[in-house]
Amino acid sequence: MAAQDRRPFTDRLAALVAGPFLLGQRALALQWGESPGSPPEPPPEPPARLSLTPPEHAIKRRG
Amino acid sequence: MKTRLPEHGPLETPRFWRTLEERIESPEAQSAAQDEFLPGAVPSFDDVHGLPVQQGFSRRDFLGLVSATAALAATVGCDRKGQGTVVPYTKRPVEVVPGVANFYASAWQEGRRVYPVLVKTREGRPIHITGNDEHPGTKGKTSPRTMADVLRLYDPDRLRAPKLDGRIQNWAEVESRLHAALVAAKGAGQSVLLVTGAVTSPSRKALLADLKAALPTLEHLALEPAAGDAAEEASRACFGQAVQIQPRLDRAEVILSLGADFLNGDDPEALGAWGAKRRLKHAKDVINRLWVLEGPMTLTGTNADVRIPVAPSRLGALAFTLAKELAAKGVPLPAGTDLSSISAGVPAELREASKLWADLLQDLHHAGRKAVVLCGAQMPAEAHQAAHLLNAMLGSEALTVRPAEPLATVKDLEAAAKGMAGGRYGTVVFWDVNPAFTFPGTTTWKDAVAKVPFRAWIGQVEDETAAQCQALLPENHWLESWGDFWTEGADVLQQPTVGTLYDTRQGEDILLGAIKALSGHGLGNYHAFLLDRWQRSLPAGTAFEQALHDGLVKVAAKATPPPFKGASVAPAARKAAASRADGLELVLFPGFATFDGRHGNNSWLQETPDPITKMTWDNPLSLSVQDAKALGIQEGDFVSLSLDGTTLKLPAVIQPGQAKGVLSLALGYGRGTGGVAKGVGLNAYPLMGLDPASANVRQGVRLAKAGGRKELSRTQSHHRMEGRDLVRSLTMDEFEHNPKGHRHMPELVSLYEEQKFPDHKWGMVIDLAACTGCSACVVACQSENNVPVVGPEQVAKGREMHWIRIDRYYEGELENPKVVHQPMLCQHCDSAPCENVCPVNATNHSPDGLNQMAYNRCVGTRYCANNCPYKVRRFNFLEYTAYKTEPETLVNNPEVTVRPRGVMEKCSFCVQRIQDVKIRAKGEGRSILDGEVTTACMAGCPADAIVFGDLKDPKSKVAQLVAASRAYRVLEEVGAKPAITYLADLKNPPLNAASNRGGHHAH
Repeated sequence: MAAQDRRPFTDRLAALVAGPFLLGQRALALQWGESPGSPPEPPPEPPARLSLTPPEHAIKRRG
Repeated sequence: MKTRLPEHGPLETPRFWRTLEERIESPEAQSAAQDEFLPGAVPSFDDVHGLPVQQGFSRRDFLGLVSATAALAATVGCDRKGQGTVVPYTKRPVEVVPGVANFYASAWQEGRRVYPVLVKTREGRPIHITGNDEHPGTKGKTSPRTMADVLRLYDPDRLRAPKLDGRIQNWAEVESRLHAALVAAKGAGQSVLLVTGAVTSPSRKALLADLKAALPTLEHLALEPAAGDAAEEASRACFGQAVQIQPRLDRAEVILSLGADFLNGDDPEALGAWGAKRRLKHAKDVINRLWVLEGPMTLTGTNADVRIPVAPSRLGALAFTLAKELAAKGVPLPAGTDLSSISAGVPAELREASKLWADLLQDLHHAGRKAVVLCGAQMPAEAHQAAHLLNAMLGSEALTVRPAEPLATVKDLEAAAKGMAGGRYGTVVFWDVNPAFTFPGTTTWKDAVAKVPFRAWIGQVEDETAAQCQALLPENHWLESWGDFWTEGADVLQQPTVGTLYDTRQGEDILLGAIKALSGHGLGNYHAFLLDRWQRSLPAGTAFEQALHDGLVKVAAKATPPPFKGASVAPAARKAAASRADGLELVLFPGFATFDGRHGNNSWLQETPDPITKMTWDNPLSLSVQDAKALGIQEGDFVSLSLDGTTLKLPAVIQPGQAKGVLSLALGYGRGTGGVAKGVGLNAYPLMGLDPASANVRQGVRLAKAGGRKELSRTQSHHRMEGRDLVRSLTMDEFEHNPKGHRHMPELVSLYEEQKFPDHKWGMVIDLAACTGCSACVVACQSENNVPVVGPEQVAKGREMHWIRIDRYYEGELENPKVVHQPMLCQHCDSAPCENVCPVNATNHSPDGLNQMAYNRCVGTRYCANNCPYKVRRFNFLEYTAYKTEPETLVNNPEVTVRPRGVMEKCSFCVQRIQDVKIRAKGEGRSILDGEVTTACMAGCPADAIVFGDLKDPKSKVAQLVAASRAYRVLEEVGAKPAITYLADLKNPPLNAASNRGGHHAH
């Protein structure tokens, strides 16, 4: 019964391999840079930080 | 735990229902009651990770995957990416103390209504808005849209620099083009058109007068599409000028609403007075009575003691008949009033409710000066004139009528469009208005504007009007601006709470620049202009700095009401008498979230459920149960709505209580610009009429099924509670004779030890009689607690994240049900079912009675949400906030953790506010005072329906209310021991009213 319910072998193999492969790729990249074959990541855009200035001439209630 | 059932058998539960499916007990509703969550709300295991669903996944495969990935995951977990840096100020601004909030008093306007506010800033960022407690009218309360408007400051779509002919330019270049156009127009004697919002500011009015002096060919139109042209027309007819009406419900014993929605959250003063009259401690206390005659179901209608569904086109006739009947009872008519066209007696549509009609007449007659008649802004002009007449006859003290600056109606706008098309104007300037979206004839308007040689736009987010202009001048948000306003009892100041975020300017400064270019002499910047005016007019002994600190200067009410012109009544009465409610009529009203469209880009408001339909992110067509049945329309069906050559295809919702033959549709949706607003709903402005007297109530509408259905992003049926005894409502008679409403509390036996609370035991009381369902608490909580927005698709799956929701219950007949609103939030149970099932102890109980969450510990099993009887826990199914960047993140409250994906969250009783007060009290060596801790929902509630405090202090307000006779706890029989107590709703129908539950509290 259990064997009939199981999905095709290729599906199970893909599921088994995909996760460890992707994680392994990340793990290797941490130590030795980007692994060959992986698409180059675009350079991160510098965050557009806004400069906050206090309001001129305003009088605060409390704080 | 064991619950001993009451001996008298099942509880006598009133038949409350929330959806049509529940009411008719359809198979779908029965099956949905078995399913705790909506289909799709809880995904199967692999769907969470975006993988296809795996059927029959074997244990061996699973263990294989786990063992293979565990080590790798541990390695990846060591990634140092995502680290932020924390740097101290190198030069700290004097005003900013890290970790300490600053509060500034300020104000803004929406339409003609002014909201005095207090703005909380953290490290220079405005993050939360409440009402200014110094104001004598609003008394520290404000509206949901005001609270949400802090998000507009950080709208990423804001224009950040001026534009000329579609390209970013510097201010000097753009202003020189504007000035050249104005100077050329002046030289050629050509007219210049300036279109702005309502003028409610004395300094802005003075500035416009200066501009007019410098540019005599200037024509000014003040445009407020949501103000109701009919109200403006009626004011001009009855008083000879524009007026602003403010209800004074603290003085009213009988209120008659003619389609007026004064309890919808827009008017904090009215809501405050309403709440004060409804929070009864004893049955002998004085209560008011609200009569509502209306077509669409409004929030005010849901709070009525007696509601009669009537077609809006007939409201004028009914109200004039009331006037005639009152006159027959000896109430004098104003001089010159002619009601000969009106027939006395019970109107035809109320024949079956003749007793109610007699009761209404008697109530108004007996209450006299303590009665008030209010008319909805969108109702026909003759209904407004009838309301003015009735108030004049009764000599009502329960409203103030004061002169106001006139507003342009659709007729004025049509004349302006003709002028533009005819080459009358050399230059047109649009300031904070969007007529290209709000004018009914969109094509006519666009063609006309295109014929003006120079077109300038002043605003924040590029809109439909900006798309037609050459010069775009980005404006400050009001939290970055100076200003002042007239209000009843106080002159109010607006001051900036943060320096400008972008290269923007105040609209007033742009006009001052124009005055300098036109006249050759400068008046300085607007701050100096305002300061100069205020210093000349301030009362002796009052410094401008003190006025800024308080946000206002109190003044005696000085405006005398204009006299009522009795002779204006006859034509209106004739028109009303001839009115017929034939076929379908459409009511167009400002959207709860969008208003006239200006808030369309505000995601907090878009996701706050409409208080009546509970729709989010859309404006479906509401129709009555009878019409839906006759036309075979089901909820969500697409319908085609046609009028005067315009056809809209939109989804339908069936609205219990809506008058037969009446359709209603919200304005302000269907915007063509804005990252959030674009494509949400449909634009209903093209359906508005060009006759100001009836622009928002249109007859001759055709409606048909259009085929297909839409999945509605509606929260109405989410988190259902399976018909248990959750909401209680009493008539005044029941309150006096049996305040517990025939219900018996089962004796609870528990094996658990009673919890001990050494110092405090925080608790809350919510008075359902005062709660109008306005949803101010929902927005206040969202702002305070960084509650994420999830979008319409997620809402449709039941994944909305609001920590507090308003459950809306119907009772009785579909055609005219009674309605009760019930705010529902985490009940902070002492024996919390959620705490027992958490495998990692992420949710647990604090020593002062809070059911608290440790977000870092939560692993997202969602057992707690399954076990919560109140369905108030919210799970982050997706990453809703982490990818946000500036400026959106600047609105976050730094005292509240932003929750990531996979984490459960819920109401915390604003624990950060409790801690803040605790620390302050400890520092000052004193105990916490009653009322010192306020949750965001409590502070935001304009009706003061929510009270929070220490239940261990017997003198605290909350402890005293818990002992009130109307008090009950929701699902008390479960034994969870909730810390929130509800006070039963109260209705005050007249003796032997249609509901046949008499009371003797008539006035």
